[in-house]
Amino acid sequence: MFSLGFWVMVKREIKRFMFLYKQTLLPSVISSGLYIIVFGAAMGSRIGEIKGVEYIHFIMPGLVMMAVINPAYQNTSSSIMQAKFLRFIEDILITPLSGLEISLSYIIGGTVRGVANGVLVLLLGYFLTGLQIDNWFLTFFYLFTVAWAFAGVGVIVGIYAKSWDSIMVITNFFFMPLFFLGGVFYSIEMLPEFWRNFSMVNPLYWMINGLRYATLGIAETSHELSLGISILFAISFSTLASYMFSKGYRIKT
Amino acid sequence: MKPAIEVKNLQKIYEGGLEALKGINLSIPQGSFYGLLGPNGAGKTTTIGIITGLVNITSGSATIMGHDSVKEFRQARKLIGLSPQELNFDVFFSIGELLELQAGYYGISNKEAKERTSVMLEQFGLTEKRNSRARELSGGMKRRVQIAKALVHDPQIVILDEPTAGVDIELRHMLWDYLRQINKEGKTILLTTHYIEEAEQLCETVSIINDGKIIVTDSPDNLTRSHGMSGLEITLTSEVTDLKLNPWTFNIIDGKIHVNIDHPEKEMAKVINQISEQGGGIENVRIFRSSLEDIFLKLTGKSLHDDEESIDIQEKTLIV
Repeated sequence: MFSLGFWVMVKREIKRFMFLYKQTLLPSVISSGLYIIVFGAAMGSRIGEIKGVEYIHFIMPGLVMMAVINPAYQNTSSSIMQAKFLRFIEDILITPLSGLEISLSYIIGGTVRGVANGVLVLLLGYFLTGLQIDNWFLTFFYLFTVAWAFAGVGVIVGIYAKSWDSIMVITNFFFMPLFFLGGVFYSIEMLPEFWRNFSMVNPLYWMINGLRYATLGIAETSHELSLGISILFAISFSTLASYMFSKGYRIKT
Repeated sequence: MKPAIEVKNLQKIYEGGLEALKGINLSIPQGSFYGLLGPNGAGKTTTIGIITGLVNITSGSATIMGHDSVKEFRQARKLIGLSPQELNFDVFFSIGELLELQAGYYGISNKEAKERTSVMLEQFGLTEKRNSRARELSGGMKRRVQIAKALVHDPQIVILDEPTAGVDIELRHMLWDYLRQINKEGKTILLTTHYIEEAEQLCETVSIINDGKIIVTDSPDNLTRSHGMSGLEITLTSEVTDLKLNPWTFNIIDGKIHVNIDHPEKEMAKVINQISEQGGGIENVRIFRSSLEDIFLKLTGKSLHDDEESIDIQEKTLIV
């Protein structure tokens, strides 16, 4: 189905972030480590248990999702933006690769980086907090699906963006609030009704809820719905990204 | 045999309404060395962009060896190598890796890509720079890498947009020799250039494009013959009253006789004889001929390189 050129492009995307590992892999390990120390060790003992699990374990799925979503998004958006900015995207557009192949190679690169970050934070959780995974298959499925979805978002933003600002706007003004209102550090049952209702329409909440079910075996709401939303987002964003590349939206004149 | 590149009624209207191409037609035979000349904004880069898939078509069609550039883009693009005017490099990789990746995008196996990369590095004198990043190279070396990228997958058609812009004379001549060689080996070359001499030296056929339209297509020789002027400029040692030169027409400008002749080398002796027979002493005879640049200026009303240095003077002087 896919040409040899497609796999070369995938290899290029993975090599790019591996080459920049200090910027692409280490930061999420360090920031997650800090979250674990501050929220887990310092505050965890005062909060006690939520839904029958220790607080430090309760927040781990949210931290993992943060480590997956941001890098997956940043990988694709910045890779495309850089290629546009320095005009070497033309080297790719003139090749026999289709729009679908180009967008999927970016998405796979972002997904690999997102999953790699997620696995590193899971390992950190294991070593620092003794985290045990309830369902390995489902955990990887969530990491993969959510990374794929946000790598797709990154492709769309990377295509659309005219400056680096646009890329950071999404991180700072969309992802960050959605994370903090997505039940990373608390159960939404602790929230007032208005914010609880708001969380219910926050897709990140459902993704964190799903991963919490996969890793800890607990869920505040429907795990099946979480799975459905994650898959729907992955398919929708990658389809839109591929469509935009195929049409040359904001890339071809 | 199908043309290497065929463009039919190609129209391009950009967002905002700018009509960059107004229904142009081009047919570039396989194995030819073809020049596309035009002033800035004439539509050269848009035409190349459409052929290579960088620009969307508004209407009309472009085919590469019979493959539609949109519907059969995979087959079409495999046949083309493009060296854009603007230098563009993937900053994360060394020169060697860049070339290997570029070959790989065209479906060339890893082993063959490495071999082709070595050949290209050798050809362009870049072997020692294999592990360098593009930003570490001089302008001339960057241009070599740019052209090597266009050729690394061994395409049948090579499109070069201003390949010698800003390069030194040595590299320019090295590139000319190389382009002649690969053209001789069967590759079709489409060249855009600001240097008229480059087109005159290299191209068998030239199309002049202006304001989104192809004005004229012919060989450089035919263009200068059909649209230009040629003749003799003769300086006399003494004036001749009531001079007659049959069958030619002439003017006297600043005391020099300008005789209009299609083939001045052939007719020079006859003209000198007639002047001598009428008592004229000849001090100097110079052949003048319109250059392709003169033709370009005449047809478009614009100069190709107002801000560029001329690289040669297109005239021959003969001292008698």
